[in-house]
Amino acid sequence: MASSSGELGGLFDHHVQREVCDTRAKYREGRRPRAVKVYTINLESRYLLIQGVPAVGAMKELVERFALYGAIEQYNALDEYPAEDFTEVYLIKFMNLRSASKRKDEQVSLEICFHVCYAPEFETPVLFLFPSFVLLSYKDHYMTKKKLVAEQKDTKDFIQDFHSEMSGFCAAALNASTGNSNPGLPYSCDLPLCYFSSKCTCSSREHVDRASNSSKDGGNHDQTVEHCYHSDSLQKIQVNTFKNSVTYSGIQKAITPSEAADRFMPRTTQLQERKRRREDDRKLETFLEASTSSNEVMIGPLLPDIPKVDMHDDSLNTTANLIRNKLKKVISCVPKPPEDKLKDVHTSPPFKQRRRI
Amino acid sequence: MAQKPKVDPHVGRLGYLQALVTEFQETESQDAKEQVLANLANFAYDPNNYQYLRQLQVLDLFLDSLSEENETLVEFAIGGLCNLCPDRANKEHILQAGGIPLITNCLSSPNEETVLSAVTTLIYLGSAGPGCHPELTALPVVQCMLRFSLSTNTRLRNLAQIFLEDLCSPSQVAEARSRQAHSALGIPLPRTAAPEQC
Repeated sequence: MASSSGELGGLFDHHVQREVCDTRAKYREGRRPRAVKVYTINLESRYLLIQGVPAVGAMKELVERFALYGAIEQYNALDEYPAEDFTEVYLIKFMNLRSASKRKDEQVSLEICFHVCYAPEFETPVLFLFPSFVLLSYKDHYMTKKKLVAEQKDTKDFIQDFHSEMSGFCAAALNASTGNSNPGLPYSCDLPLCYFSSKCTCSSREHVDRASNSSKDGGNHDQTVEHCYHSDSLQKIQVNTFKNSVTYSGIQKAITPSEAADRFMPRTTQLQERKRRREDDRKLETFLEASTSSNEVMIGPLLPDIPKVDMHDDSLNTTANLIRNKLKKVISCVPKPPEDKLKDVHTSPPFKQRRRI
Repeated sequence: MAQKPKVDPHVGRLGYLQALVTEFQETESQDAKEQVLANLANFAYDPNNYQYLRQLQVLDLFLDSLSEENETLVEFAIGGLCNLCPDRANKEHILQAGGIPLITNCLSSPNEETVLSAVTTLIYLGSAGPGCHPELTALPVVQCMLRFSLSTNTRLRNLAQIFLEDLCSPSQVAEARSRQAHSALGIPLPRTAAPEQC
């Protein structure tokens, strides 16, 4: 059923951007041209797949832009996902479903459009051991919809029943990804998540975006559907319009040694930095070797080493190291004894004592 | 996003939905039918529209469209039913209208989204617990779900597991498993008529 032809955007049918419909009757044309598509709960997901992002190293900006719509739990660049030349594909996991549903097919500040779609195949089912009331993370958004419907009709009894059942829950979770060689992978056997992803993860701050959107207009809903939803808890729906409720959620990134730290740094710069550091280390090593192998007589206590201070910045650290090395050279420099110039015509010019800095 | 001018939402919404239903019933263009049905199915996602859709008998429209030859119409119709199902009143209407056999027929569709929507709809219809409606857990259906639970399609596999765990009793699942080897269910019928024999 699902196509895995490897065509651009064609890994799954629901990832493919369909052509917009231009034959609609006037009265049901929406504000924007849209394709003809029905969205059900099966297509929704906390995971958004973003295709066609120009490969200009703007991942950080992209994620920050998406974070405006809700807390982001994780984001990956999918290096193995089929993509056009010079474009990249990203996978973003929101903390909750409503944040993901708000961010579809919109322009970024770079004024570039790209294709955003749900990626429900990344969701995993986790069962709670309470069969009479099914509740699990994958199923959760199915039951959220049910709860929403009940709340909107003001059936308090339902909510009370749900609360009483919730309190009786055993929180033991059973991962039900049978048939999957790696139980930790949410993906099916043929395409595990790790197959696509590079190593970029983050965890979000605690904010749960409660904003809901009302239906855009009385007109077309063929592509995107906006509804009033509450968050995963059963508290009252806080109905705010889209504009009023945009809150910036920061992204706390897990720093891995191989990746850039808090700031974005292009890969070429990173490579140059590492090269420079290696050269500095090498220089320092050779210098230390030279000094330890010399027959210099040590008189008196060793002078304390210049303390190494981490400047929390690569370029500043590099500069500091260079200065430090320079100082060591200058401090330990010993003038050569003057040689007989007549005897030594062919040798190098006499060593000049360096000026102390 | 530009804001639409303020109109009484309830009057405007009902009138608009009425216009959609009318167009669907009167048009002969397949494209227009698909567009309108998709429109209605997407409206069905919003619980605020449930009352209007019931009033305009859109549920029956969706159920009738399940028998269409056009697979796109079937996909959109079952999607609409899937969106409507979480509501108790809608659920009862579908059950009373004999919707279960129409929905289970969709399980053999070659369209992935149709099958997913059908399974989801059945889950919602049976969410009152095992034994609420015997048609839902009939042997062929359970066997079908057992096959789906082994699928490489992640979404389908997950949904089938939910169906088996929530709607079926262990004995039903065991019986379906034991009979599975002997059943020819699930083999799709040929689409074209058999050649005439001389």
